[in-house]
Amino acid sequence: MTARFAIATRDELWSHGRLLERRLAHGIAVEDERGIVASDARDDALVAACDAAMERLRAHVVEDARVRLVAEATEEGVTSTMTVRLGARSIVTTPEHVAHDLALLREASFDRGEVADARLPLIWLHGSASVLLHEAVGHAAEHGHAPVAWPSWLRVDDEGADLLHGAPPPRLRRATFRDVPLPRMTNLVARQEGAPFAWPEERIEVLLVDGGAYEPLTQTVTVRIAAARHVRADEVTPLAPFTIERTREDVARALRGATGAPLRYPGVICSREGQELVVGSHAPIMLTVFA
Amino acid sequence: MIYRKRGSSVRWENGVLVSVSEAGIVTEEHDLFSCEPEARDALPWPDADVVAVARQIETLAREVAVERLIVSAGIAEHECDGRMWSDETWRVHVALAHRGLRALVDLATFDTSEIAPIADALARCTTSSREAPARLRLAPNVTAALLPSLAGLAPPNVELWQTGGGIDGNGEAILEQRIAAPPYPNVYRPTYRMRPVRVPLNLQLRCAVADIDETRPRAIALLAPIDGLTLHVLVEDAARVYPATVRLVRIDAVAPPAAWYPYGAGSFGAEMML
Repeated sequence: MTARFAIATRDELWSHGRLLERRLAHGIAVEDERGIVASDARDDALVAACDAAMERLRAHVVEDARVRLVAEATEEGVTSTMTVRLGARSIVTTPEHVAHDLALLREASFDRGEVADARLPLIWLHGSASVLLHEAVGHAAEHGHAPVAWPSWLRVDDEGADLLHGAPPPRLRRATFRDVPLPRMTNLVARQEGAPFAWPEERIEVLLVDGGAYEPLTQTVTVRIAAARHVRADEVTPLAPFTIERTREDVARALRGATGAPLRYPGVICSREGQELVVGSHAPIMLTVFA
Repeated sequence: MIYRKRGSSVRWENGVLVSVSEAGIVTEEHDLFSCEPEARDALPWPDADVVAVARQIETLAREVAVERLIVSAGIAEHECDGRMWSDETWRVHVALAHRGLRALVDLATFDTSEIAPIADALARCTTSSREAPARLRLAPNVTAALLPSLAGLAPPNVELWQTGGGIDGNGEAILEQRIAAPPYPNVYRPTYRMRPVRVPLNLQLRCAVADIDETRPRAIALLAPIDGLTLHVLVEDAARVYPATVRLVRIDAVAPPAAWYPYGAGSFGAEMML
């Protein structure tokens, strides 16, 4: 059986309104039982679709930020993605959501903060818990690791696959025509059904996550918190970035509650085997306590 | 500046054979970097049996799990402002896993003789970390991974040098030069899709003392990528093998360069003594 994959990508890097880098890439990969043969052959329709998408993206360049615009066209459709960086913090967004997400980025762009006591209850706002679950649930499912004892109120799926109970992501994805397709997450959605929840009087509120990792050998999850604040009654204090590094079992035990519907988190570019892919990420407001 | 590249490669990536041919053109005008594919005749595939090399490595490492295995060969032609050159590359990346530990091996050759001793040691390794010995040898593959982290630093007793010879990413001769601080004299272009970066190439470490005490325990492989001057390594000490974390403070001796490794923009590994 032969499978064909075609892609075209345009990307541009803008800094404070000035174009610094622009790239066009295109190619076609043909896969059969002997392997993959790929070349940078051009599919004119895909390149044209990219050009049109890039034209629309350029209207959203943020003048006081560093912005990477990526328009990608495959036979499955066209995606438009923007990574906006202000100082050390960034978001991954789309033209439809950039205004909302940029406001969050500005809210989270405080200069300095106090050292976090990560033993305090953490409230994961703005869908940021999806990053924790992306690492602890999604990557574990990609590696075929057995499920751990997740809370009964938690649901995590990707395009209909029940990641929480070990189903792997259903789609094979690749970053470029040169890459080997792998089962990778496309759109992780975490939900709660009847979860307990109460706002702790003293807590850390997580606003933005810088990145994360899953170590398959030890099943350890690492999440780097880029922006958070310490809340005690009416007193709110910005916190310096901090890192959580725990086993998957620790993460499962730490999940104490959630509230509301899933919120779209602006910011997951997932890297595995050197292939960077945008993954949709959604989670309700969640409460964790890492003892 | 205009830079052109065309190349082809064959790669065995975790069980899948991938053959790629492509060509691209780069223009750099003031601060703007632009690149795109260029329609040109493809180069022939490299004459390299990457599948056989991969199978050989799997056989060498049968006592442990081969977590990741990438074997590739490539040929490329370059042109930059009228200067033309070509190169061939051979690369092996293997991650060996055993009882929660991962040994990383990167080679620029299809001579895989370095892999079997590492796999054998990993299979015998205790899982609990020990304190790193005060006196330790580093194998050339470990030293090579460390050298890019030394750029801009000045460890006592040693000098970091860019090795002269060959052509850089702009087609300029790579100069023999002691590396102290930026700006560096040459540029590195790992792909035509990346803006060239000014970094030291083909690093080597020079030390007035080259005598290595062969009785010292030896770090034979990385267990994680280098983190600054901290190395998580697999240490072989007579019959014992254990993981240890080493913080580089002082280098006592460095033997002459043994082999070139694909770390950073190239690095010559040498037996080193801490």
